[in-house]
Amino acid sequence: MINVDKKEIYRYLGYRRNMPDAEVLRTVDYCLGELQREITPRFVYRQYPVESVFTMPGMQSHDTGISLRTEKGAGISSDRKKGPQIPLLRIAGMEIRSLSLSRNLRGCENVYLMAATLGLGPDRLIARASVTHMSRAVILQAAAAAMIESWCDEVNQRIIDEAASQGLYCRPRFSPGYGDFPLEYQQDFAQILRMQKEIGVSLTESCLMMPSKSVTAVIGITKEKQGCVLHGCEVCENSSECAFSRNGV
Amino acid sequence: MTEKGTGKVRRPLLERLGKEWLFFDGGTGTILQEKGLKGGELPERWNLSRPEDIIDLHCGYLKAGCDIFNTNTFGANSLKFSRENGELKQIVEAAVALAKEARRRTDREDAYIALDIGPTGRLLEPLGDLSFERAVEIFGEVVRIGAAAGADLVLIETMSDSYESKAAVLAAKENCDLPVLITNVYDSSGKLLTGGTVDSTVALLEGLRVDGLGVNCGMGPEQMIPIVQRMVETASVPILVNPNAGLPRAENGRTVYDVGPETFADWMKKIAGMGVQAVGGCCGTTPEHIRRTVQAVRGTACLPGEPGKAAEVAGGSGAETAAERGVPFVPNTRKGRTVVSSFSRAVEIGKKPVIIGERINPTGKKKFKQALRDNDIEYILSEGLNQEESGAHILDVNVGLPEIDEPQMMAEVVSRLQSILPLPLQIDTSDPAAMERGMRLYNGKPMVNSVNGKKESMEAVFPLVRKYGGVVVGLVLDEDGIPETADGRMAIAKKIYETADRYGVPREDIVIDGLAMTISSDTKGALTTLETLRRVRDELDGHTILGVSNISFGLPQRSVINAHFLTMAMQMGLSCAIMNPGNEDMMCAYRAFLALSDMDPQCMGYIEAYANAQRTTVTAAAKAGSGSSAAGPSDKTGTSPGGTSAEGTAGGPALPDSAGMSLGDSIRRGMSKSAADAARVLLEAGTPALRLINEELIPALDYVGKGFEKGTIFLPQLLMSAEAAKAAFEVVKESMQDEKQETKGRIILATVKGDIHDIGKNIVKVMLENYSFEIIDLGKDVAPETIVETAIRENISLVGLSALMTTTVVSMEDTIRLLREKKPDTKVVVGGAVMTQEYADSIGADCYAPDAMATVHFAEEVFARSDHTAS
Repeated sequence: MINVDKKEIYRYLGYRRNMPDAEVLRTVDYCLGELQREITPRFVYRQYPVESVFTMPGMQSHDTGISLRTEKGAGISSDRKKGPQIPLLRIAGMEIRSLSLSRNLRGCENVYLMAATLGLGPDRLIARASVTHMSRAVILQAAAAAMIESWCDEVNQRIIDEAASQGLYCRPRFSPGYGDFPLEYQQDFAQILRMQKEIGVSLTESCLMMPSKSVTAVIGITKEKQGCVLHGCEVCENSSECAFSRNGV
Repeated sequence: MTEKGTGKVRRPLLERLGKEWLFFDGGTGTILQEKGLKGGELPERWNLSRPEDIIDLHCGYLKAGCDIFNTNTFGANSLKFSRENGELKQIVEAAVALAKEARRRTDREDAYIALDIGPTGRLLEPLGDLSFERAVEIFGEVVRIGAAAGADLVLIETMSDSYESKAAVLAAKENCDLPVLITNVYDSSGKLLTGGTVDSTVALLEGLRVDGLGVNCGMGPEQMIPIVQRMVETASVPILVNPNAGLPRAENGRTVYDVGPETFADWMKKIAGMGVQAVGGCCGTTPEHIRRTVQAVRGTACLPGEPGKAAEVAGGSGAETAAERGVPFVPNTRKGRTVVSSFSRAVEIGKKPVIIGERINPTGKKKFKQALRDNDIEYILSEGLNQEESGAHILDVNVGLPEIDEPQMMAEVVSRLQSILPLPLQIDTSDPAAMERGMRLYNGKPMVNSVNGKKESMEAVFPLVRKYGGVVVGLVLDEDGIPETADGRMAIAKKIYETADRYGVPREDIVIDGLAMTISSDTKGALTTLETLRRVRDELDGHTILGVSNISFGLPQRSVINAHFLTMAMQMGLSCAIMNPGNEDMMCAYRAFLALSDMDPQCMGYIEAYANAQRTTVTAAAKAGSGSSAAGPSDKTGTSPGGTSAEGTAGGPALPDSAGMSLGDSIRRGMSKSAADAARVLLEAGTPALRLINEELIPALDYVGKGFEKGTIFLPQLLMSAEAAKAAFEVVKESMQDEKQETKGRIILATVKGDIHDIGKNIVKVMLENYSFEIIDLGKDVAPETIVETAIRENISLVGLSALMTTTVVSMEDTIRLLREKKPDTKVVVGGAVMTQEYADSIGADCYAPDAMATVHFAEEVFARSDHTAS
C-alpha cells in the first residue's frame, strides 16, 4: 500500500487548478485500487564515494572500461548548457560530465545511488485498459506516475533517515535525463545496482526502463543541513517548460 | 555412497543427478571483486585478460568439493560482446578451457562444467523490446559455442522472467544434446520478479522437459525455505537450491553479504532435508561456504581427504554424530498433477471443474470473422477480457479462417492476449504450423486443442507437446470416425494414452474429449458421452473435457439443455467445460454444482455471485435472448466499452443511474451504456442512422472537443465521451449491417522505433476513430521501414508518429526522411511528450499536434484537401 496524493494525479491528468467531475473521481479511486493490488514495489540503494575533478571535456581518463559520455543523449537542451568548466564526476566507476548534477552534488563526498519500481503490474493494467477503456488507461497512467513518485519519496526517506543516523543530510534526488545528466547512464545504474537481478528492472535498447514505472536517482549526502529535499522536480532545469512541473501550481 | 574423490571418471550427469547428492559452486562476482574487478567492468573479459584468476576461482570451488561448476559466462552474449569481431566466441571458448584447466589442476575430472547462462538484461516483447525469437537466437549462439568447446551441461540461472526462461531453455534444447538445468530468482513474496509463481514456473519448465529446476540468488537460504517447500510439493524433476549468503547490504560502496560459512551450511542442511537433490551457493558465497555445506549435507564420515574437520562442522551444536551422518538423500517423486499455466498463474485440472471460454473462435460469428480479416486484434482481445470478467479460467484461442495466415494470426493473438491477461490459453487449431507457433510463443504451459486417435494427428501433435509442453485434448475419434458406443470411445482414449507415452508425453498431460454431439440427431448421444466421461475417470483415472453446448445444436432454448447437460457431465467427472462464460444459465449450473459438491468452501463463491442478484427465470432469460445459442449473448457486450453487467461483477466503477438520458447528454457525460441504450431507443423509434449520427452524435462530440481545446473539459472526460460515442456507433453499425461503412480516410499510427510507450498514440487512435477515420495501428517500437512499406502498400496519405523521449525522436526523424524519399506525397503529423513546434519543424514534419484534437483537425484538413484535389 503506497499513499498517493490524489492532487498529483489530477495534475498529471492536466486539471491544473480544476477539480475532476464525479465520474472521473470514481474512476481514479477504482484505478488506485487496481494499482494497489497489482503493484510489486521494490527498491535498491547503496552508498558510493563521489569524486569531482576538473579536466578538459573529451579527455579520456583511466581504464575503467566505461567511456566518457557527455553530450550524447542530452538531446535538444544540451548545447545551451555547455560551459567550459564542467567538472568530471566519478561515482562507482561511472564518469559523468554534467553541470546540473555537479551543481547538485557540490561539496558531497558520498552519494547514494537508488532505483525504485512498482513492477510490471501497472504496465499490464495500462495495456489492458488501452484495449477497451482508453480513459481508464490514461487515469491508470497518471495514478501510477503519482504512485512511483510517492514510492520514491518513501525510499528516499529511508535514505534520509540512514544518513541522519550518521549526522548527515541529503540533497534532492537527481535522475539521469534531468538537466544535462544523460539518460544513457541508466546502463551504468543497471549494472552497478544489479537492477534486473535485485528489483526486476531492465532497459530497452534506447535506455528506457521496464517496468515503465521505475526511477533511478543519485542522492548526494553532505554535512550541511538542507531544506526541502524530497522533491526531485524542483532541481530540474526543464521544470519551467515541463507540463507536469509543480512550479505552475 | 559416491565415488567422488576415488575414481576420476566422469559418469554421465543424468546417471547421478536426482539419484545422489550433488553440489554446485558458489558466488563469482564477490570473489572477482576481491581480485580487483571494478564496478563497471564486464567479468567475462577476464577469461581473456586474467585467465589465472578465473582458474583460481574454479579451483577454489573444486577443492571445496562441488560437483558442478559454472563457466564465467553469465553475461556472455551478443548483446554485450561483439559477434562480428569474434570476441563472444573467444570469451565463451576461453571460459570452458579455463574450467577444464581448473579441473585438471585439482584432479577433479569427475566434476561437471556447466555452461553458465544468465539473463540478457532486456525485457521481452510485447512489454519490452526484445523479441522472443531474437532471445532464442542470442542464447542459442552461446550454447553452440559452449557445447562445442566441451561443456558438460547447460545451467540457465538467475532468470527473473518466465518468458526469458522459456527462450533460454528452448535455445539450449535446440542447439545441443547436453542436460539442461535452470534456476530462477524469486522474491520474498514467493514470485518471480515478473509475477510467476512456483506452480506456474514449475509447470512451464517441466513442460519444456528440463532435467532439473530450482531457485537461486535474490535471497539467503532462510528466506528461500517457503519457495523450496512449494517446489518440493509441485516439481517432479530434481530440485536445485543455490541461495545468496543472506540479503545484500552496502558497505563503503560494496555489496556485502552477512551469512557466514557455518550458518550458511546449517541452513543448507535444513534445506537439503526438505527433499531437494542438489545444493550450492550464489552471490556472496565462497569456497568455504560450499565446503561447509558439502560436509554438512554429505556428512563428514565420507568426506575425502579432510578427516579432522568433523568437530569443527558440528560447531557448538554438539550434534557430532548427525554431522557424520549428514542428510539422507531422497529422490524427488513424480507428482502427476495436470497443470496449465500462464506467466503468473497455474490452473490445476482435475480438482474441480474448470471453465474454458470458447468465444475467441470465428465459427458462426460474422463479426469475429470480420475482425480477423481486418486484423482487428483489439476486438479479439476484448472478447478475452469479457470472458475473464465472466469467470473463465482458461481461454480457448481459435483464429482459423481460410483466407488468413493462421500461424501469423495465432502468434499475434497469443502474444497480445498473454501480455494483458493472466488466464492460461488453449491453443485451438487443426493446422500444425499454427499450433507450433502458438505453443512456441506462449508464455507458459498451454492447453492444446487437439489431437485425435488418427495416426496422422498423433504424429503431428505429440512431438509438439513433447517439445513445448502442454496439456493436450484427445478427441475420441479416429480413421473410422466417431464410435457410437462408450466402449468404442474408450478404446480410442486408451490408444491416445499409449501413443502419447511412446512420444514421452506423460498421461497427466492428456484430457479426453468425450465428444458431445447433438441429441437432436441421436437421442442416445448424451448418454454415450456421459458414460465415456465416467469410464475415463473410473477406469483410466484420467481427466475429461467437452464442448458442452454442442449437445443442443438444432434445438430451441439451447441454454436450458446446455445447463442441465453441464450439471450431468460434471457429476460424471467432467474436468473441463468449453463453454461461453457469458451464458448465465450455464454459469448458474456451474456455481450450483460446486456448492452442492463441496467444492465451494462455505458456499462463498455462490453467495458472492448471487447474494444481490435478481434472478430472472430461465424462460424469461431465454425470451430476452440471453441464451438462445452459444453465439448469441456476448456479442452485445463484446465491444461496448463500459457499463456492461460483466464489468459490474469485476468491480468496475459503477455508473450512475442514467435511464432516459438523451444520446447527446450521454456522450457529453461520457456514459457508454446509456449512450448505447439511447442510440438503440432512437433507432427502434425509426430515427434514420445518418440523422442520429449527424444531429446527436457529432454535435455532442464537437461540444466535448471544443471544451477540451478551451481547457474546460479534460483528457479523461474527452476519452470517456469518445468511448460513449463509440458505444453508440457500434449500435448504429449493427443496425446498418451490410451497408458499406463510410470512412473519411485511412491513417497509419505508430510509436517510433526505440519507444515502447504507446499511450499517447492510443489516445489519438480513439479520437480519430470517433471522427470516422480508419486507423492502421502499427503499434510501438516500429521500424521506419515498416511504416514506409505500409504507407506505400496501402497508399496512405497521412501518417501519425509518436515519440516520448528525446532519444527516440531520432527514429522519428529517420522515419520522416525515409518517407519523404520513398513516398513524398504522404503527410506526417507528430506528437509526444518531448515534441514542440520548433522540434517538429526541424525534423521535417508537416504538422505538430500538441494533443489528440489537433491531430483530428489536421486529419480533416488533409483529407478535405485530397478530396478537393480528386474532384
